[in-house]
Amino acid sequence: MADATGSDKVWPTGLTEEQSEEIHKHVIQGTQIFGFIAALAHLFAYIYSPWLK
Amino acid sequence: MIYGKLWLVVKPTVGIPLFLGGVAIGSFMVHYMLLTNTTWLKKYYEGKPAVTAMVDAPAATAAAAPPPAKP
Repeated sequence: MADATGSDKVWPTGLTEEQSEEIHKHVIQGTQIFGFIAALAHLFAYIYSPWLK
Repeated sequence: MIYGKLWLVVKPTVGIPLFLGGVAIGSFMVHYMLLTNTTWLKKYYEGKPAVTAMVDAPAATAAAAPPPAKP
């Protein structure tokens, strides 16, 4: 039986703390990959387009 | 992980599409505004060269007579 402060507690969204942390890990990783690709795209745009020139 | 407990109070089925939609709309609007408010981005997308004016001054300079020699 899980108590109110334990990690087994199911929150209103239907998730436990462990599940929430796992989802968040993937969200952060996806954001980092997106950010890296976007930074690369902006670097190419700066080099090969008249942007900021 | 910081903010890892976010999904205990925000449903991932609501929060994740909202987040991705915000990013998509924001980046689209920035690029659309650049396209409509600058002159160079449209030209760039159409494939025109950045510099269209040709400089023919060096040819005229080469054809000019050299300065007279001083004694």
